[in-house]
Amino acid sequence: MTLDPAAMTRLLDITGGDQGFVDELIDTFIEDATAQIDGLRSAASAGDAEAIIRPAHSLKSNAANVGATALEDLARDLEGDGRTGDVPDAVARVASVETEFAAVRDGLLAERAAR
Amino acid sequence: MSGRILVVDDTPFNRRLLVRLLEDLGHRTVEAENGRLALDVLRAADTEPIDLILLDIEMPEMDGHATLAALKADEALRDIPVIVVSSVDELESVVRCIRTGAADYLPKSVDPEILRARVEASLSQKQMRDNERELTATIERQRSQLARFLSPQVAALVSSADGEALLAGHRREITAMFTDLRNFTSFSETAEPEEVLGFLRAYHGVMGALIVEHEGTLEHFAGDGFMTFFNDPVLQPDHAARAIRLAVAMREHFASLSADWRRRGYVLEIGIGIATGYATLGRIGFEGRYDYGAIGNAIILASRLSGDAAAGEILVAARTFAEAEEVDGADLIAETGGDRTLKGFSRAIPTYLITGRRGEPADAPAAAEGAAP
Repeated sequence: MTLDPAAMTRLLDITGGDQGFVDELIDTFIEDATAQIDGLRSAASAGDAEAIIRPAHSLKSNAANVGATALEDLARDLEGDGRTGDVPDAVARVASVETEFAAVRDGLLAERAAR
Repeated sequence: MSGRILVVDDTPFNRRLLVRLLEDLGHRTVEAENGRLALDVLRAADTEPIDLILLDIEMPEMDGHATLAALKADEALRDIPVIVVSSVDELESVVRCIRTGAADYLPKSVDPEILRARVEASLSQKQMRDNERELTATIERQRSQLARFLSPQVAALVSSADGEALLAGHRREITAMFTDLRNFTSFSETAEPEEVLGFLRAYHGVMGALIVEHEGTLEHFAGDGFMTFFNDPVLQPDHAARAIRLAVAMREHFASLSADWRRRGYVLEIGIGIATGYATLGRIGFEGRYDYGAIGNAIILASRLSGDAAAGEILVAARTFAEAEEVDGADLIAETGGDRTLKGFSRAIPTYLITGRRGEPADAPAAAEGAAP
């Protein structure tokens, strides 16, 4: 799992150290990414490459926001392949996305609990 | 400068963060999840106007490109500045957006200082455009008000680049035309004032439209009289012919107007005098009230000829007739009006009486045919 701590530092920095607001953003991220991963899962099992593009794109942007760089890379690759119309090993790759996301979520929540 | 900013992004995280940062900068915000909802917000009749739009590119339902195209196609929305918010790997899309009319772009991992600078630049541009538009609207309003008081040619002259020089005074050959009514004085004494005003309104309406149609410059109207001239401020090489055409049209239209009044027991007749010559033209009057006027022998002569014309006559100076004949030739039907001795003119003035014109333009075909011998 990769989680770049600079992202959280930056969010706190630009919001004037508003912990409460950053916590809300983390909740928003978890909620939103969960929905996007649901979208990826059903697109992958249906073998619908085009339906992968949008949730992958949003997940990529969400992951970048919290510094989840590995998750961002996985999502970017899925989005790129989706645009070519062919996503090899889609089901297995979405499973890796899920694993990575679960780790990121735990990491974010642990970091929050430690603050 | 603070504004009301519409944030359009399908990702709640991005929306919340942008809204928070904008509000920290003192702006008010409205959110929309995609382009279609953004357009709904912008087009809602009862909402306060939006000063700036922050627009995501990749969105479901209606993406940034389609939204931008819809905004630019909408007269009421096209001037609202749009800043495209994009991730670094979307630069191609950003270029496309800027070509479609986006004002600027911001990277997704937004820096508050850059956000502040771009938002403020766009808002002040918008402010400038709004001011400019208001100014243009004011000028247009003044111009159209002005055009209601001045003849269209003079109104155009006042707002043209060389207007000041022409207004200051210049000499030019013009054809002047005086139109007034026989029996108007006794009519205005016997008729009810409301009737007189009603008649004048109809008379001015019909004659005014003819003057505009023939592109004459109306110098003034006073009660039953009009002074119109041609070849100034707009040059008209056929000014003599134009004046006679206008006179013939006026007489024909006046015939149907006066028939109406004849039935009510009032006999009114038109008399027209036309002369060509040099005049001094420009601003005449005093500070606070100027007219665009003409001074010269031709004007006095036209006025005297109009006074000398009998009911229903168009009395034209021989020089004017000769010039008009060169243009309208055989279409002009006239007879000699003899040499007239007129007040203020030491020598008798040779004149013609215009009977009518052959092949009169479509404005009064029946009457024109009737006038032909």
